[in-house]
Amino acid sequence: MQPEFTEVQRFLLDCPPFDELTGEQRQWVAQNIDAAYVNEHNVDALFKQHSPALYIVRSGGFDLLAPDGHLIERLESHDLFGFPSLLSGRPVVNKLKVIEDGIIYIVSAAMFDKLRQHARAFEQYFIRAHGQRLLSEVARRSPREVGPGRGEATVNADASNNRDFNETERLTANASRPSVTEKSPGYDTLELTIAEVISREPVTVSSTASIREAAELMRDEKVSSVMVTGADLGLHPTSSKLFGILTDRDLRNRVIAQGLSYDIQVNAVMTQAPATVYGRQTLMDALTLMTQHNIHHLPVLDDNDQPIGMITNTDLMRQQRSEPVMLISAINKADTREQLVAEAQHIPAYMQTFAARVHDTTMVGRLLASLTDSMTRKLISLYEQEHGVAPSAYCWIAFGSQGREDQVLSSDQDNGLLLGNGLNEQQLEWFKGLGEYVCTGLNECGIPLCPGDIMASNPDCRRTLDGWLDRFQTWTESPTPKALMYCQIFFDSRMVHGNKRLYQRYRDEVAKLGKSEFFLGNLARLQVSVQVPLGLFNRFRGTESGKDSDLINIKRYGIALINDIVRIYSLQAGLTAPQTLVRLEQLRGSNLLNRKDNQSLAEAWQFLTQLRLQHQLDIWGTDKSKNALDPDELSTLTRRQLKTAFRIIKDCQQGVGLKFGRIG
Amino acid sequence: MWSAIKRWWQTHKARRKPWTEHRYIALDIETSGLDPTNDQILAIAWVEVSPPVIHYTTGRYYLIKHDKTDLKQSPVIHGLVKKDFIETSELCDVMKALAAALNNKILICHHIQLDWRFLKQAAKHCDIQLSPLALFDTLAFEASRLKRQQHHIQRGSLTLSACRSRYGLPEYDSHHAFSDAVGCAELMLAQGYKFAGSSKSSIF
Repeated sequence: MQPEFTEVQRFLLDCPPFDELTGEQRQWVAQNIDAAYVNEHNVDALFKQHSPALYIVRSGGFDLLAPDGHLIERLESHDLFGFPSLLSGRPVVNKLKVIEDGIIYIVSAAMFDKLRQHARAFEQYFIRAHGQRLLSEVARRSPREVGPGRGEATVNADASNNRDFNETERLTANASRPSVTEKSPGYDTLELTIAEVISREPVTVSSTASIREAAELMRDEKVSSVMVTGADLGLHPTSSKLFGILTDRDLRNRVIAQGLSYDIQVNAVMTQAPATVYGRQTLMDALTLMTQHNIHHLPVLDDNDQPIGMITNTDLMRQQRSEPVMLISAINKADTREQLVAEAQHIPAYMQTFAARVHDTTMVGRLLASLTDSMTRKLISLYEQEHGVAPSAYCWIAFGSQGREDQVLSSDQDNGLLLGNGLNEQQLEWFKGLGEYVCTGLNECGIPLCPGDIMASNPDCRRTLDGWLDRFQTWTESPTPKALMYCQIFFDSRMVHGNKRLYQRYRDEVAKLGKSEFFLGNLARLQVSVQVPLGLFNRFRGTESGKDSDLINIKRYGIALINDIVRIYSLQAGLTAPQTLVRLEQLRGSNLLNRKDNQSLAEAWQFLTQLRLQHQLDIWGTDKSKNALDPDELSTLTRRQLKTAFRIIKDCQQGVGLKFGRIG
Repeated sequence: MWSAIKRWWQTHKARRKPWTEHRYIALDIETSGLDPTNDQILAIAWVEVSPPVIHYTTGRYYLIKHDKTDLKQSPVIHGLVKKDFIETSELCDVMKALAAALNNKILICHHIQLDWRFLKQAAKHCDIQLSPLALFDTLAFEASRLKRQQHHIQRGSLTLSACRSRYGLPEYDSHHAFSDAVGCAELMLAQGYKFAGSSKSSIF
């Protein structure tokens, strides 16, 4: 009689997609496979004899090489290969090089076909893997899939642990199931779309109506703001176009206080071209925009730019279970520095529950950036209360992770001040005081001081427009390694507070300097010199040996490298947005970065950010490394996804080397 | 007589083939003790190997039927629990199957002396001839290799799992006859490819 092959079965259970098979099917696999001891002496003959087939690495390490010798993948325990030929029917052209002898299981083509026919999830896995879409399994968990009936949605048992990729993989692999219910019981209302929460029809007034008419309408409709519209002179004569917005406050400040006649047209006093959101965007998007612009009303448009409603900060506050909104509001209401610091102490605990709840983990970085922005603005206004208003136009700028909005709780400060020209000693003293006040204040609020002193408290980071441009010019013209390192931080900037026009001039000039081919060439060569891990386990990694010991740093070798790659394309294109995903979106249609790489980079970035967040939640309260993971503690699928992400980074890094590295 | 000479000649010729062209049976038995005359075989497992491949389809595992199943009053003997005794086979049926499998193949065990003595005893009892082409002991190979390299052989360093770990082979939950048979097959392949190197040489 045949044995039960307990050992192989246990291994297969930990080796997706074999975990998708029934126990009986797995047993059948174990009873029918071949196991080969693979060594440099037999590798070529073995694969000549046994291909095409699906191969499963049981132990050892192997490099899968393209015919030109280019490394496709470093294979370690639990990795699969050979299936592309099985699926496409094309002959096997890749070669295997033995790094360390080991056991490889061979699943014959006939067995593979039989499994595909009988196990749908098994087949689906390989189709996705073949299309290099393993990472998109994570992206599928975006809030867009969250349906409207939130409380009563039936939650499939599989979905209860939404932070386990393995579960998600299993869940999405079952493609026939309706996806609306793919939702865990806990999630944040900030993930709802704006269209889901706006409760009433838009209240609009024609731009040629009088102020009195507008006020009467607001009274009758019991609203604190109206949208001002006019005929769209463009392609759609029947549709209306949003011209502006008029609020209670505008009536008070711009009409009554100014003593204007109520008979003049609203377009004279409205806010023109206001910030808007689309109904398909999330409440998080609305919150970010409101805090960034310090506004309380946002007109909501449909995809044809037609007004569909208004969302206010009261609407956001009304959403239960959203501590972040309450937190931002508490920060904004703080009257003293002590109150602000006291409120800020709640941030870590709030962020932990928020992070554990949200599906789209990019929201965590954005929320932290929003909170940091709010605290910064509050500190600035507290300083102004004590020391009088600023003696000139200026901008408070966030760099690095706050600028990119991919902050984590341990991220330190990166900020600076952009000052007007011709300030005297006394005026400079005011800004010196501001820098010190805000930076120490942020530190008290839990945003650590920057060890590299990239802070507005450092005179080197308080500069006039020309002063900053001089600095950027030095970096771009004599790109020493240190200068290039600075560029990775300073080119990712966002204005937190101050004079928009001043910032825009600064940003446009900086963008011009960033397009220098000589500079980009040097930046590219620096980036290419960072070795991307080939394997996950220390002896197969191929990066500086021993540096991280058994742990693998996914910030340094992952997230930061993607940020770098995307930055170089953005600099070349002259983009001024700092966020990596926004940059990628704006780079769509670029001649240099093709669509597939663009999408892969976005998926890899999201995957790594998610993985890092999950890790940080897991190690919460311990002194374990915040960015370094132990590959042994990851599920097989996560390990494969991580390798996929590294592979994408490596390929794109080589692309950067080819496209930019030769110049300069 | 003539057939015996013919057999000897074939064996002699076969032995000169490179080791990789032979076929092997990796085997492990579980016994109730260490004395072949008084103790019994409880389980036998084996699998066929044609280097560098182990054919799992050929894997066999038999629990042997005995009159009294409360062997030595212990519910657990070598990892076997009572419920494992439910589906058992007659020793002589198993020996017959083994004799067929061993034909023209080399028998591999870890510490083959012991297993071979038990097998011979059982074969005699069933009046069956076991005639493998040769015997290969992964333990003896390892011991002589270590001695050649002038290693001091420490206690416990020659167990199957200790030997396997020296070759970087995965850790198996041992003490199941079939895992040990597979483990032994993998060890033999690792020894062969690491130390007999290219397929030209013979390890016998």
